Amino acid sequence: MERKPKWLRVRYNQEAVEEVARLLGELKLNTVCKEANCPNLGECYRKHTATFMILGSRCTRNCRFCNVIPGHPLPPDPEEPENVAAAVERLGLRHVVLTCPTRDDLTDGGAAHFAAVLEAIRSRCPGTTVETLISDMQGNTAALDVIVAARPEVLNHNVETVRALQGAVRPQADYRRSLDVLRYCKKKEPALLTKTGFMVGLGETEEQIEELLDDVLAVGVDILTIGQYLQPSPEHHPLARYASPEDFARYRDMALAKGFRHVASAPLARSSYRAWEALEEVHDLH
Amino acid sequence: MEKQLTLPRLREEMSSGVLCAWLKEEGEAVEAGEPLYEIETDKVVNQIEASEAGVLKRQLCEEGDELAPGAPVALLETE
Repeated sequence: MERKPKWLRVRYNQEAVEEVARLLGELKLNTVCKEANCPNLGECYRKHTATFMILGSRCTRNCRFCNVIPGHPLPPDPEEPENVAAAVERLGLRHVVLTCPTRDDLTDGGAAHFAAVLEAIRSRCPGTTVETLISDMQGNTAALDVIVAARPEVLNHNVETVRALQGAVRPQADYRRSLDVLRYCKKKEPALLTKTGFMVGLGETEEQIEELLDDVLAVGVDILTIGQYLQPSPEHHPLARYASPEDFARYRDMALAKGFRHVASAPLARSSYRAWEALEEVHDLH
Repeated sequence: MEKQLTLPRLREEMSSGVLCAWLKEEGEAVEAGEPLYEIETDKVVNQIEASEAGVLKRQLCEEGDELAPGAPVALLETE
Protein backbone atom coordinates (compact mmCIF):
# COMPACT_ATOMS: atom_id res chain seq x y z
CA MET A 1 0.00 0.00 0.00
CA GLU A 2 1.36 3.42 -0.96
CA ARG A 3 1.87 5.64 2.08
CA LYS A 4 -0.79 8.29 2.40
CA PRO A 5 0.23 11.95 2.57
CA LYS A 6 0.22 13.40 6.08
CA TRP A 7 -2.88 15.54 5.44
CA LEU A 8 -5.08 12.47 4.90
CA ARG A 9 -5.55 11.77 8.60
CA VAL A 10 -8.90 11.28 10.30
CA ARG A 11 -9.98 10.53 13.87
CA TYR A 12 -11.97 7.41 14.73
CA ASN A 13 -13.89 6.75 17.91
CA GLN A 14 -15.39 3.30 17.96
CA GLU A 15 -18.08 3.94 20.56
CA ALA A 16 -19.40 7.05 18.81
CA VAL A 17 -19.52 5.24 15.47
CA GLU A 18 -21.30 2.25 16.98
CA GLU A 19 -23.88 4.47 18.70
CA VAL A 20 -24.95 6.16 15.46
CA ALA A 21 -24.73 2.90 13.49
CA ARG A 22 -27.05 1.25 16.03
CA LEU A 23 -29.69 3.97 15.64
CA LEU A 24 -29.51 3.80 11.84
CA GLY A 25 -29.76 0.01 11.98
CA GLU A 26 -32.84 0.14 14.21
CA LEU A 27 -34.56 2.42 11.70
CA LYS A 28 -33.37 0.39 8.68
CA LEU A 29 -31.63 3.42 7.17
CA ASN A 30 -28.66 3.61 4.84
CA THR A 31 -26.04 6.34 4.82
CA VAL A 32 -23.73 7.37 2.03
CA CYS A 33 -21.12 7.65 4.78
CA LYS A 34 -21.06 3.86 5.02
CA GLU A 35 -21.93 2.89 1.45
CA ALA A 36 -19.35 5.23 -0.07
CA ASN A 37 -16.74 4.26 2.55
CA CYS A 38 -16.38 7.93 3.40
CA PRO A 39 -13.18 8.81 5.26
CA ASN A 40 -15.07 11.38 7.35
CA LEU A 41 -17.53 8.85 8.80
CA GLY A 42 -15.78 8.78 12.19
CA GLU A 43 -15.83 12.55 12.55
CA CYS A 44 -19.40 12.98 11.35
CA TYR A 45 -20.86 10.15 13.44
CA ARG A 46 -19.01 11.54 16.45
CA LYS A 47 -20.78 14.84 15.85
CA HIS A 48 -24.03 12.89 15.62
CA THR A 49 -24.52 13.68 11.96
CA ALA A 50 -24.88 11.50 8.88
CA THR A 51 -25.96 11.78 5.26
CA PHE A 52 -28.98 9.60 4.60
CA MET A 53 -29.01 7.54 1.44
CA ILE A 54 -32.68 7.03 0.67
CA LEU A 55 -34.10 4.75 -2.04
CA GLY A 56 -31.92 1.79 -1.09
CA SER A 57 -28.23 0.97 -1.28
CA ARG A 58 -28.01 -0.52 -4.79
CA CYS A 59 -27.29 1.72 -7.78
CA THR A 60 -28.45 1.18 -11.36
CA ARG A 61 -25.22 2.76 -12.65
CA ASN A 62 -21.61 1.77 -12.26
CA CYS A 63 -19.46 4.89 -12.01
CA ARG A 64 -15.76 4.09 -11.86
CA PHE A 65 -14.98 6.30 -8.85
CA CYS A 66 -17.82 5.24 -6.60
CA ASN A 67 -17.98 2.61 -3.87
CA VAL A 68 -21.77 2.24 -3.91
CA ILE A 69 -22.63 -1.26 -5.11
CA PRO A 70 -24.29 -1.52 -8.53
CA GLY A 71 -27.22 -3.90 -8.86
CA HIS A 72 -30.98 -4.28 -9.00
CA PRO A 73 -32.52 -2.07 -6.33
CA LEU A 74 -35.63 -2.86 -4.34
CA PRO A 75 -38.80 -0.74 -4.56
CA PRO A 76 -38.71 2.34 -2.30
CA ASP A 77 -39.47 1.54 1.36
CA PRO A 78 -42.79 3.25 2.25
CA GLU A 79 -41.67 3.50 5.88
CA GLU A 80 -38.46 5.28 4.98
CA PRO A 81 -39.82 8.88 5.08
CA GLU A 82 -40.99 8.47 8.69
CA ASN A 83 -37.85 6.58 9.67
CA VAL A 84 -35.56 9.30 8.28
CA ALA A 85 -37.60 11.95 10.11
CA ALA A 86 -37.33 9.91 13.32
CA ALA A 87 -33.54 9.67 12.92
CA VAL A 88 -33.30 13.42 12.26
CA GLU A 89 -35.23 14.03 15.46
CA ARG A 90 -33.23 11.58 17.56
CA LEU A 91 -29.89 12.87 16.28
CA GLY A 92 -31.06 16.46 16.74
CA LEU A 93 -29.95 17.50 13.24
CA ARG A 94 -30.38 21.14 12.27
CA HIS A 95 -29.38 20.45 8.66
CA VAL A 96 -30.02 17.19 6.82
CA VAL A 97 -28.49 15.98 3.59
CA LEU A 98 -30.52 13.42 1.65
CA THR A 99 -28.94 11.54 -1.20
CA CYS A 100 -29.70 8.39 -3.20
CA PRO A 101 -28.21 5.86 -5.54
CA THR A 102 -29.21 6.57 -9.15
CA ARG A 103 -32.59 4.93 -9.75
CA ASP A 104 -32.91 4.66 -13.52
CA ASP A 105 -35.42 1.84 -12.89
CA LEU A 106 -38.00 4.30 -11.49
CA THR A 107 -39.86 6.49 -13.98
CA ASP A 108 -39.42 9.56 -11.76
CA GLY A 109 -35.90 8.62 -10.64
CA GLY A 110 -37.18 8.54 -7.05
CA ALA A 111 -38.33 12.19 -7.02
CA ALA A 112 -41.67 11.49 -5.32
CA HIS A 113 -39.89 9.53 -2.60
CA PHE A 114 -37.51 12.45 -2.02
CA ALA A 115 -40.54 14.73 -1.66
CA ALA A 116 -42.16 12.33 0.82
CA VAL A 117 -39.01 12.23 2.96
CA LEU A 118 -38.78 16.02 2.87
CA GLU A 119 -42.40 16.34 3.93
CA ALA A 120 -41.92 13.92 6.82
CA ILE A 121 -38.88 15.89 8.04
CA ARG A 122 -40.76 19.21 7.73
CA SER A 123 -43.65 17.82 9.71
CA ARG A 124 -41.62 16.28 12.53
CA CYS A 125 -38.67 18.74 12.67
CA PRO A 126 -39.94 22.08 11.33
CA GLY A 127 -36.76 24.02 12.09
CA THR A 128 -34.45 21.66 10.23
CA THR A 129 -33.05 22.65 6.84
CA VAL A 130 -32.76 20.07 4.07
CA GLU A 131 -30.29 19.59 1.26
CA THR A 132 -31.14 17.16 -1.54
CA LEU A 133 -28.10 15.66 -3.25
CA ILE A 134 -29.78 14.18 -6.30
CA SER A 135 -28.84 12.03 -9.27
CA ASP A 136 -29.34 13.53 -12.72
CA MET A 137 -32.83 11.89 -12.80
CA GLN A 138 -31.96 11.27 -16.46
CA GLY A 139 -32.61 14.95 -17.05
CA ASN A 140 -36.35 14.35 -16.57
CA THR A 141 -37.73 17.84 -15.94
CA ALA A 142 -41.04 16.53 -14.54
CA ALA A 143 -39.02 14.68 -11.87
CA LEU A 144 -36.91 17.76 -11.18
CA ASP A 145 -40.12 19.80 -10.81
CA VAL A 146 -41.21 17.44 -8.01
CA ILE A 147 -37.89 17.95 -6.19
CA VAL A 148 -37.98 21.74 -6.59
CA ALA A 149 -41.64 21.88 -5.48
CA ALA A 150 -40.66 20.07 -2.25
CA ARG A 151 -38.59 23.20 -1.47
CA PRO A 152 -35.27 21.94 -0.16
CA GLU A 153 -33.03 24.77 1.05
CA VAL A 154 -30.20 23.45 -1.14
CA LEU A 155 -30.30 21.40 -4.32
CA ASN A 156 -27.02 19.61 -4.91
CA HIS A 157 -26.00 17.62 -7.96
CA ASN A 158 -22.39 16.69 -8.53
CA VAL A 159 -20.61 16.95 -11.88
CA GLU A 160 -17.92 14.81 -10.16
CA THR A 161 -15.11 15.49 -12.65
CA VAL A 162 -13.99 17.65 -15.57
CA ARG A 163 -15.65 17.33 -18.96
CA ALA A 164 -12.77 15.38 -20.53
CA LEU A 165 -12.89 12.58 -17.92
CA GLN A 166 -16.66 12.03 -17.80
CA GLY A 167 -16.62 8.98 -20.07
CA ALA A 168 -13.90 7.25 -18.06
CA VAL A 169 -15.25 8.16 -14.62
CA ARG A 170 -19.07 8.16 -14.95
CA PRO A 171 -19.82 6.46 -18.27
CA GLN A 172 -23.61 6.35 -17.85
CA ALA A 173 -23.84 10.03 -16.97
CA ASP A 174 -23.28 13.09 -19.08
CA TYR A 175 -21.55 16.39 -18.27
CA ARG A 176 -23.99 18.42 -20.37
CA ARG A 177 -26.99 16.73 -18.75
CA SER A 178 -25.64 17.44 -15.27
CA LEU A 179 -25.18 21.11 -16.18
CA ASP A 180 -28.71 21.12 -17.59
CA VAL A 181 -30.09 19.71 -14.30
CA LEU A 182 -28.42 22.49 -12.31
CA ARG A 183 -29.49 25.18 -14.79
CA TYR A 184 -33.09 23.95 -14.94
CA CYS A 185 -33.58 23.83 -11.16
CA LYS A 186 -32.10 27.31 -10.67
CA LYS A 187 -34.26 28.76 -13.41
CA LYS A 188 -37.36 27.05 -12.04
CA GLU A 189 -36.78 28.46 -8.55
CA PRO A 190 -34.20 31.28 -8.50
CA ALA A 191 -34.29 31.45 -4.67
CA LEU A 192 -33.13 27.83 -4.45
CA LEU A 193 -29.46 27.52 -3.56
CA THR A 194 -27.72 25.19 -5.99
CA LYS A 195 -24.55 23.31 -5.28
CA THR A 196 -22.18 21.01 -7.11
CA GLY A 197 -18.88 19.30 -6.47
CA PHE A 198 -15.99 17.59 -8.15
CA MET A 199 -12.96 15.51 -7.26
CA VAL A 200 -9.32 16.13 -8.11
CA GLY A 201 -6.78 13.36 -8.53
CA LEU A 202 -8.53 11.54 -11.36
CA GLY A 203 -6.13 12.84 -14.04
CA GLU A 204 -7.53 16.29 -14.76
CA THR A 205 -5.43 19.33 -15.75
CA GLU A 206 -5.58 22.84 -14.27
CA GLU A 207 -7.05 24.16 -17.53
CA GLN A 208 -9.80 21.54 -17.39
CA ILE A 209 -10.56 22.51 -13.78
CA GLU A 210 -10.86 26.13 -14.82
CA GLU A 211 -13.22 25.16 -17.65
CA LEU A 212 -15.38 23.23 -15.15
CA LEU A 213 -15.54 26.22 -12.80
CA ASP A 214 -16.68 28.46 -15.67
CA ASP A 215 -19.26 25.90 -16.83
CA VAL A 216 -20.91 25.39 -13.44
CA LEU A 217 -20.84 29.09 -12.60
CA ALA A 218 -22.58 29.80 -15.89
CA VAL A 219 -25.54 27.60 -14.89
CA GLY A 220 -25.98 29.56 -11.65
CA VAL A 221 -24.32 27.31 -9.07
CA ASP A 222 -23.95 29.07 -5.69
CA ILE A 223 -21.96 26.56 -3.63
CA LEU A 224 -19.02 24.44 -4.72
CA THR A 225 -17.17 21.55 -3.08
CA ILE A 226 -13.76 20.32 -4.22
CA GLY A 227 -12.15 17.23 -2.66
CA GLN A 228 -9.46 14.63 -3.20
CA TYR A 229 -10.44 11.47 -5.11
CA LEU A 230 -9.60 8.43 -2.99
CA GLN A 231 -9.62 5.16 -4.88
CA PRO A 232 -12.02 2.74 -3.13
CA SER A 233 -10.29 -0.40 -4.49
CA PRO A 234 -7.78 -1.46 -7.16
CA GLU A 235 -10.77 -2.15 -9.45
CA HIS A 236 -11.84 1.51 -9.42
CA HIS A 237 -10.53 4.39 -11.56
CA PRO A 238 -6.81 4.75 -10.81
CA LEU A 239 -5.60 7.56 -8.58
CA ALA A 240 -3.53 10.01 -10.64
CA ARG A 241 -2.19 12.18 -7.81
CA TYR A 242 -2.67 13.54 -4.34
CA ALA A 243 -3.30 17.28 -4.57
CA SER A 244 -1.72 19.21 -1.70
CA PRO A 245 -3.59 21.48 0.73
CA GLU A 246 -1.92 24.38 -1.11
CA ASP A 247 -3.45 23.15 -4.39
CA PHE A 248 -6.89 23.08 -2.76
CA ALA A 249 -6.38 26.61 -1.41
CA ARG A 250 -5.50 27.74 -4.93
CA TYR A 251 -8.65 26.13 -6.38
CA ARG A 252 -10.74 27.78 -3.67
CA ASP A 253 -9.26 31.22 -4.38
CA MET A 254 -9.75 30.71 -8.12
CA ALA A 255 -13.42 29.73 -7.61
CA LEU A 256 -14.16 32.59 -5.20
CA ALA A 257 -12.55 35.08 -7.60
CA LYS A 258 -14.86 33.82 -10.33
CA GLY A 259 -17.91 34.52 -8.19
CA PHE A 260 -19.09 31.41 -6.31
CA ARG A 261 -20.79 32.32 -3.05
CA HIS A 262 -19.23 29.54 -0.97
CA VAL A 263 -16.41 27.15 -1.77
CA ALA A 264 -15.33 24.18 0.38
CA SER A 265 -12.01 23.03 -1.06
CA ALA A 266 -9.82 20.68 0.96
CA PRO A 267 -8.41 17.16 0.63
CA LEU A 268 -11.22 15.64 2.70
CA ALA A 269 -14.00 18.02 1.65
CA ARG A 270 -17.02 16.06 0.44
CA SER A 271 -20.44 17.03 -0.87
CA SER A 272 -22.14 16.85 2.47
CA TYR A 273 -19.18 17.34 4.82
CA ARG A 274 -20.05 20.25 7.14
CA ALA A 275 -22.78 21.16 4.66
CA TRP A 276 -24.48 23.41 7.22
CA GLU A 277 -21.47 25.75 7.20
CA ALA A 278 -22.00 26.51 3.51
CA LEU A 279 -25.71 27.07 4.06
CA GLU A 280 -25.18 29.36 7.03
CA GLU A 281 -22.73 31.48 5.09
CA VAL A 282 -24.89 32.08 2.06
CA HIS A 283 -28.43 31.90 3.38
CA ASP A 284 -30.14 34.18 5.86
CA LEU A 285 -32.07 31.51 7.72
CA HIS A 286 -33.78 33.80 10.16
CA MET B 1 -8.29 -3.45 35.59
CA GLU B 2 -6.39 -4.67 32.56
CA LYS B 3 -8.24 -4.40 29.28
CA GLN B 4 -7.21 -5.75 25.90
CA LEU B 5 -7.84 -3.33 23.02
CA THR B 6 -8.52 -4.79 19.60
CA LEU B 7 -8.50 -3.23 16.14
CA PRO B 8 -12.02 -2.03 15.32
CA ARG B 9 -13.58 -2.84 11.98
CA LEU B 10 -13.40 0.67 10.56
CA ARG B 11 -15.50 -0.13 7.49
CA GLU B 12 -17.70 -3.08 6.71
CA GLU B 13 -15.50 -4.28 3.85
CA MET B 14 -12.21 -3.73 5.69
CA SER B 15 -10.00 -6.81 5.54
CA SER B 16 -6.85 -5.37 7.12
CA GLY B 17 -4.92 -2.22 7.95
CA VAL B 18 -1.30 -1.34 8.59
CA LEU B 19 -0.33 0.03 11.97
CA CYS B 20 1.76 2.98 10.87
CA ALA B 21 2.47 4.77 14.15
CA TRP B 22 2.10 4.51 17.89
CA LEU B 23 1.04 7.83 19.38
CA LYS B 24 1.53 6.73 23.01
CA GLU B 25 4.49 4.95 24.59
CA GLU B 26 4.21 2.04 27.02
CA GLY B 27 3.65 3.41 30.52
CA GLU B 28 2.11 6.64 29.23
CA ALA B 29 -1.26 7.85 30.50
CA VAL B 30 -4.07 8.30 27.99
CA GLU B 31 -7.34 10.21 28.30
CA ALA B 32 -10.62 8.96 26.84
CA GLY B 33 -10.86 10.36 23.29
CA GLU B 34 -7.10 10.77 22.86
CA PRO B 35 -5.61 9.06 19.79
CA LEU B 36 -3.59 5.97 20.66
CA TYR B 37 -2.28 4.72 17.33
CA GLU B 38 -2.62 5.16 13.58
CA ILE B 39 -3.95 2.58 11.13
CA GLU B 40 -3.62 3.05 7.40
CA THR B 41 -6.50 1.68 5.35
CA ASP B 42 -7.45 1.93 1.66
CA LYS B 43 -8.25 5.62 1.66
CA VAL B 44 -6.76 7.35 4.70
CA VAL B 45 -4.77 7.11 7.93
CA ASN B 46 -7.13 6.64 10.89
CA GLN B 47 -6.16 7.87 14.34
CA ILE B 48 -7.85 5.48 16.72
CA GLU B 49 -9.02 7.08 19.93
CA ALA B 50 -9.01 5.45 23.35
CA SER B 51 -12.55 4.75 24.52
CA GLU B 52 -11.59 5.20 28.16
CA ALA B 53 -8.80 6.68 30.24
CA GLY B 54 -5.94 4.56 31.53
CA VAL B 55 -2.26 3.76 31.18
CA LEU B 56 -0.94 2.07 28.05
CA LYS B 57 0.53 -1.04 29.65
CA ARG B 58 1.75 -2.84 26.57
CA GLN B 59 1.85 -2.41 22.81
CA LEU B 60 0.97 -5.81 21.31
CA CYS B 61 2.08 -5.00 17.76
CA GLU B 62 4.74 -3.01 16.00
CA GLU B 63 4.71 -0.24 13.45
CA GLY B 64 4.46 -1.82 10.00
CA ASP B 65 2.36 -4.80 11.15
CA GLU B 66 -0.65 -5.65 9.00
CA LEU B 67 -3.64 -6.34 11.21
CA ALA B 68 -7.10 -7.76 10.67
CA PRO B 69 -10.15 -6.31 12.44
CA GLY B 70 -10.35 -7.83 15.90
CA ALA B 71 -6.58 -8.30 16.22
CA PRO B 72 -5.20 -7.50 19.70
CA VAL B 73 -3.42 -4.13 19.62
CA ALA B 74 -2.70 -3.06 23.20
CA LEU B 75 -3.23 -3.68 26.89
CA LEU B 76 -4.73 -0.71 28.74
CA GLU B 77 -4.72 -0.48 32.54
CA THR B 78 -7.93 1.27 33.53
CA GLU B 79 -9.12 2.38 36.94
